[in-house]
Amino acid sequence: MWKDKYKIGVELIDHQHQELFGRVSNFLQAVQSEGQWEEKLEHVKSTMEFMQNYVVEHFEAEEQFQREINFPEYENHKQVHDDFKATVNDYAQTFAQEGYSQELVQEFGAKLMTWLIMHVAAADQRIGAFVRKQGGTYS
Amino acid sequence: MKAAYIQPFYKATRDVFRIMMDVEVKRGELRLAQDLIPSKEANVIIGTTGDLSGSILYSFPKDMTLTMVKIMSGMELKELDGFVLSALGEVANIISGNAMTYLNSENYRCDISPPHVMLGATHTLSMATDVVLVIPMVSTIGDFDINVSLRETNK
Repeated sequence: MWKDKYKIGVELIDHQHQELFGRVSNFLQAVQSEGQWEEKLEHVKSTMEFMQNYVVEHFEAEEQFQREINFPEYENHKQVHDDFKATVNDYAQTFAQEGYSQELVQEFGAKLMTWLIMHVAAADQRIGAFVRKQGGTYS
Repeated sequence: MKAAYIQPFYKATRDVFRIMMDVEVKRGELRLAQDLIPSKEANVIIGTTGDLSGSILYSFPKDMTLTMVKIMSGMELKELDGFVLSALGEVANIISGNAMTYLNSENYRCDISPPHVMLGATHTLSMATDVVLVIPMVSTIGDFDINVSLRETNK
């Protein structure tokens, strides 16, 4: 899933993005793997949990970095993160209450993948552009 | 139904395909239709409310849909299953959201409803009293249609 064009030029963030894409990709592969849903459900759940934890961890680290560099779009960007965390939490709640149906997990996986690509390939690029505009490189 | 509503959708589609898939899309000749009719296998319909009220129907061929989701996920996909169709719905949702942003900057305040995905060509979705503008889109991974049926409500 990861492509080099998603890099923003800040090593810490790029490293975390690669890790996040890797975890989402593992989750999607578990969801789409051959076999009966019930048989692969445990693997789906564990990869989902592993990935979800990292979403929060990465958002916090990225927001911390944005504060350090005085990123002017910090408030908006944080709001976008918060909205997406709320979406993820809504799904988690539904899974806990209604079970992990294949249909809903596939929908969640698709939403996660498309959101992540669009966010990293567009919104996050502005962080890199700001760092370069300030004449700095961060690692 | 004004042709001016078309440009934001074209621009948003071009941007989203470029950003998410590295695919260049071009616009074909606009044509008129009387109803919203899915012309291809994988369809996404999105409603709009606000200053512009109506529907947008995205109609994609099966192979193109599979290629789009393969480019994004890096996985080989064979069927239009729940994952593939949800991903297609999200792409249409992102395009529509961006088109709304462009329309907002032209002082049209509108919102969109969540994407509704449908399989199969043929049946008519509505007896739209408004004219539908069909934007044929051409790309290296396939051709698809965006059907736009919007009516300006009284501000």
